[in-house]
Amino acid sequence: MASRLYDWLDSRLNLKPVQRTLLDEPIPGGASWIYVFGSVTLFLFVLQAATGMFLAIYYAPTPDHAYDSIRFIETEITFGWLVRGLHHWGASAMVVAIGLHMLQTFLYGAYKSPREAMWMVGVVLFLLVMTFAFTGYLLPWDQTAYWATQIGINMVGTIPLVGDFFSRVLRGGEVLGALTLSRFFAIHVLFLPAILVGGIALHLFVLRRVGPAGPWADDRASLGSETFAPRQVYMDAVVIAAVFLVVAMLAFSIPLPLTDKADPSDTSFVPVPEWYFLFYYELLKYVHGPLEPLATWVLPLCVILIMLFWPFIDRNPVRNPIRRPVALGSGLLFLLVVFGLLGISIKQLYAVPRTDPAVARGKAVYAQFGCVGCHRIHGEGGAVAPDLSTIGDTRPDRAWHLKHFRDPQSVAPGSFMPKFPLTDQQLNDLTTYMLSLKRAT
Amino acid sequence: MSQHQLSDHQPEGGFSTPVGSRRTFFQWVTLAAAGVVGMGLAIPLLGSLISPAFTRRRLAWVDVGAIDELPAGRPTQLDHVTTTRDGWMEAKSRKAVWAVKHPQGEVTVFSPICTHLGCGYRWDNAENKFLCPCHGSSFGINGQVLGGPAPRPLDRLPAKVESGRLLVMYKDFKSGLAESIEL
Repeated sequence: MASRLYDWLDSRLNLKPVQRTLLDEPIPGGASWIYVFGSVTLFLFVLQAATGMFLAIYYAPTPDHAYDSIRFIETEITFGWLVRGLHHWGASAMVVAIGLHMLQTFLYGAYKSPREAMWMVGVVLFLLVMTFAFTGYLLPWDQTAYWATQIGINMVGTIPLVGDFFSRVLRGGEVLGALTLSRFFAIHVLFLPAILVGGIALHLFVLRRVGPAGPWADDRASLGSETFAPRQVYMDAVVIAAVFLVVAMLAFSIPLPLTDKADPSDTSFVPVPEWYFLFYYELLKYVHGPLEPLATWVLPLCVILIMLFWPFIDRNPVRNPIRRPVALGSGLLFLLVVFGLLGISIKQLYAVPRTDPAVARGKAVYAQFGCVGCHRIHGEGGAVAPDLSTIGDTRPDRAWHLKHFRDPQSVAPGSFMPKFPLTDQQLNDLTTYMLSLKRAT
Repeated sequence: MSQHQLSDHQPEGGFSTPVGSRRTFFQWVTLAAAGVVGMGLAIPLLGSLISPAFTRRRLAWVDVGAIDELPAGRPTQLDHVTTTRDGWMEAKSRKAVWAVKHPQGEVTVFSPICTHLGCGYRWDNAENKFLCPCHGSSFGINGQVLGGPAPRPLDRLPAKVESGRLLVMYKDFKSGLAESIEL
């Protein structure tokens, strides 16, 4: 059936040469599992595009509705949570796939002449993907999205001369708000895909003009060539299906975080960026004062420029990694720094001390006596009494709390907080809970 | 690859390429992988697309007042306030329905929309009729057409009495037709 249709079309459109061009591309040295990452990245782009289109059916890019529309997708739409999960984990998978693709290219010296242009277009594609990640992160309009984007844009603001102008353009004005969300949305779903598709086309065009690099063997003449189809296609397809299943499994098993709706007045919220920006987030902790611009823009700019022009910096024509100690050493050092910072950051994020059961009991007391009516913790609760989000830092004195809960006016004259009939056990638990409320480290 | 596997590899246009059962195997696995990804994507994507097509509007019983406060034999207009959901948006919907308590105590509730072209009508105490100001339709206290262009009696809304409160479910009907058809 399919083959008869193909023959019918072929007799009119002369498809055989097209098929030969697309599928019979010679691969020097034969097909290999190490060459799959480019195809996997391309597949993940298609996955992101498809899931993104379906998310756009329900998403509303205004501060009034963005958060509610995401909640609606998560709770009311059949498979909505799965589509959003695929898009979320697909983004992470895409960063991983690009990383591996670049690593393979680097290791094989495949960026060297005559493939410099392919590498440079690839670096631009990588930067576009990171821009996708940054603009997409704001769209749910929850606390994490809002404050992480705030920080990202402020970093742009540290660039001398043009920084202020750039950050205003990014925000669409002085403050992060409706104009920021709508332009991030348009950039994420219209501008970037158009540019990225063009970049991918250029990347593949260069690939087909110069051909794949193949192994790093010195005697290239002795290498046989194998056609792209069917064996490389089969390897690509197997890995793509496996990646899809992993992404789907993550979407199924890990419910997506949606923090509280963005609250521009709640400055106590500590945002954490996505894992692929964590290493950089960690780096910023170590650089303070006059050196800060070094980390916020000088270093990133240098790294990007070095990456972009790497084929012209590393002019050694040898491709065998063993005979390129300098290039390999600097690549390794770069990875060590990035993953070292990532590791430290993850360790600190998850190194939350094991919670004392008294904290949970104290939390229950806090809820039972309606403290939330006047006090606010991480954006939740009334605003007539002090915000307790970081009370453990600002008032770490246990005795003070015990005394205060027995009789607020005894330590805080003029306080309108009532005396609550607390048992000694409740008093201790509530105090332990208060002391546990500290700034995230 | 494989100068030694000549039996299942054959040079084609200068390059080697798998042939025979080996080639078929690669093609089948590729198809199977494409099937897994295709189905795995098609089901959630299309499911999410058509999902709202099957959610019915949730009609709710709304308390419009105490049954004892209704005067017997004289139509009364009552506020019918509900929260309607439009996707992720919630809005208060405010309608006014006409309730008639009959001398025996049972209650009829009419949609406040004239069956002719959808104007709002009113009760005229002097004439003892419902009068529509737009095109002069008039209806009796039981909703029957007394005059004018109205094609059918007033539309009745589901109503019930629970512990002394009158509960009404609001609906819209197509105007201009001889039968009462719910929108």
